[in-house]
Amino acid sequence: MSVLDVRNIRKCFGDTTVLDDISFTLEKGETLSIIGASGSGKTTLLRCLNFLETPDSGKIIVNGETLFDADDKNTQRESEKRKKRLHFGLVFQSFNLFPQHNVLKNVTLACELLAKERVDYKQNKRAIQKEIENNARELLDSVGLSEKLGFYPHQLSGGQQQRVAIARALALRPDILCFDEPTSALDPELTGEVLKVIKGLAEKDTTMIIVTHEMQFAREVSDIVMFMDGGVVVEQGHPEFVFAAPSEERTKQFLERYFEG
Amino acid sequence: MDLFLDVTQNLLVGFAATCKLFILTLIFSLPLGLVVSFGSMSRFFPLRWLVRTFVWIIRGTPLMLQLFVVFYGPGIVWGTTIFADREVAAVVAFVINYSCYFSEIYRSGIEGVPKGQNEAGQVLGMTKPQIFYHITLLQVIKRIVPPMTNEIMTLVKDTSLARIIAVVDIIFVAQRYITSSALLWPLFYSGVFYLLFCGLLTIIFRQFERKLRFFSV
Ligand SMILES: Nc1ncnc2c1ncn2[C@@H]1O[C@H](COP(=O)(O)OP(=O)(O)OP(=O)(O)O)[C@@H](O)[C@H]1O
Ligand SMILES: [Mg+2]
Repeated sequence: MSVLDVRNIRKCFGDTTVLDDISFTLEKGETLSIIGASGSGKTTLLRCLNFLETPDSGKIIVNGETLFDADDKNTQRESEKRKKRLHFGLVFQSFNLFPQHNVLKNVTLACELLAKERVDYKQNKRAIQKEIENNARELLDSVGLSEKLGFYPHQLSGGQQQRVAIARALALRPDILCFDEPTSALDPELTGEVLKVIKGLAEKDTTMIIVTHEMQFAREVSDIVMFMDGGVVVEQGHPEFVFAAPSEERTKQFLERYFEG
Repeated sequence: MDLFLDVTQNLLVGFAATCKLFILTLIFSLPLGLVVSFGSMSRFFPLRWLVRTFVWIIRGTPLMLQLFVVFYGPGIVWGTTIFADREVAAVVAFVINYSCYFSEIYRSGIEGVPKGQNEAGQVLGMTKPQIFYHITLLQVIKRIVPPMTNEIMTLVKDTSLARIIAVVDIIFVAQRYITSSALLWPLFYSGVFYLLFCGLLTIIFRQFERKLRFFSV
């Protein structure tokens, strides 16, 4: 069974169709890279998966459970959205760290709030908090930021902020971690450290969807590459095929333009 | 020397009245301004339009005029004065006026928080109240402290406008010395009270701002 099964997602803003019949599946431990020109709908697709946008039609199925079905109102209750989101994590292009919380708190906050809903929270408060904090420390260590726990976001470089954001998303143990151009807002010399962290995650078989303009990186790290254009999936397959021998004319043109420029 | 003490004492009485108007205005308009700001950001168009028009009128006309309208208006329209008490009328007019000014400060503070903050909270499974309390609130406060400081300092000095409907305040008292004893200096002396009060407020607000300096938005 696939971790993620996206079927016929369609999304319009007013008259413009931004996503047109998007379908794909993702297996556990796989990394999917999405490439495509600006405005092709990549961000919108990730936002639909994270329930920040509501698709006009289609289905989103995670581990066999239908989280969203445009034809079934029962799957669209506002009250359940919050829990469903937890299947996904999202790392934003602009980091979106919480400025008033230090690095450690940025990572633990959501976990702490969720833990309060546990029935045994009152009894085991201390132990639960300790566990959350230890987990956060481990994650921050794994992204190379164990020295920065007490720092505030404005005291960090963009690359460091994005690594905190990755740790923050991982802390909730999502089934699928999504990245929306994680290095686009970074100075070129800082992209390497973030890509390295993501690569490390791929090697540890984290299930990921990565929207990126870093073609070389996508080629190295992904199991599947998906090329989107004008809201449709033009082509998807093994990176070597898509990059070395694209079967669609549009993919060819996009890659040519990319590697020329 | 006796005269100086006498003047000081009388001015203090007047200043107490000034402070009373100042504090009552703040107590009511700080929360009311928040309500008005929610109205002006409402997704329900008629409400938003109504509130914004009202705010536009209040911010676009002199407070002095609004004092007259609140005090004499009801009498002209219905033949009775609702706010027979001048002080009550003054507080009402000030609260209406300052709620509108504060509402605009709140609105810009709230709208100034990047959408991404809210979305980051949502994606991390937080509820709306959690997002407001743990993420948005402090950022809004940090944003609004400087403009709030300005507005509140203006209020200190605006209170003297209440004299126009014969509400006693420190300048009212000081002016009496001109007519009764041909003394001008009490009027200038009254300025010292405003200065000290504003100075105190500046220190308090600066302290507050400093407390919030540990992060940047
Ligand atoms: N909230 C919105 N309202 C209206 N149109 C929108 C909205 N969000 C996105 N769009 C439109 O949808 C299209 C796809 O946008 P999207 O951000 O998904 O593209 P993208 O592939 O992520 O592009 P980029 O590489 O520039 O990030 C664009 O034409 C955009 O203008
Ligand atoms: Mg995008």
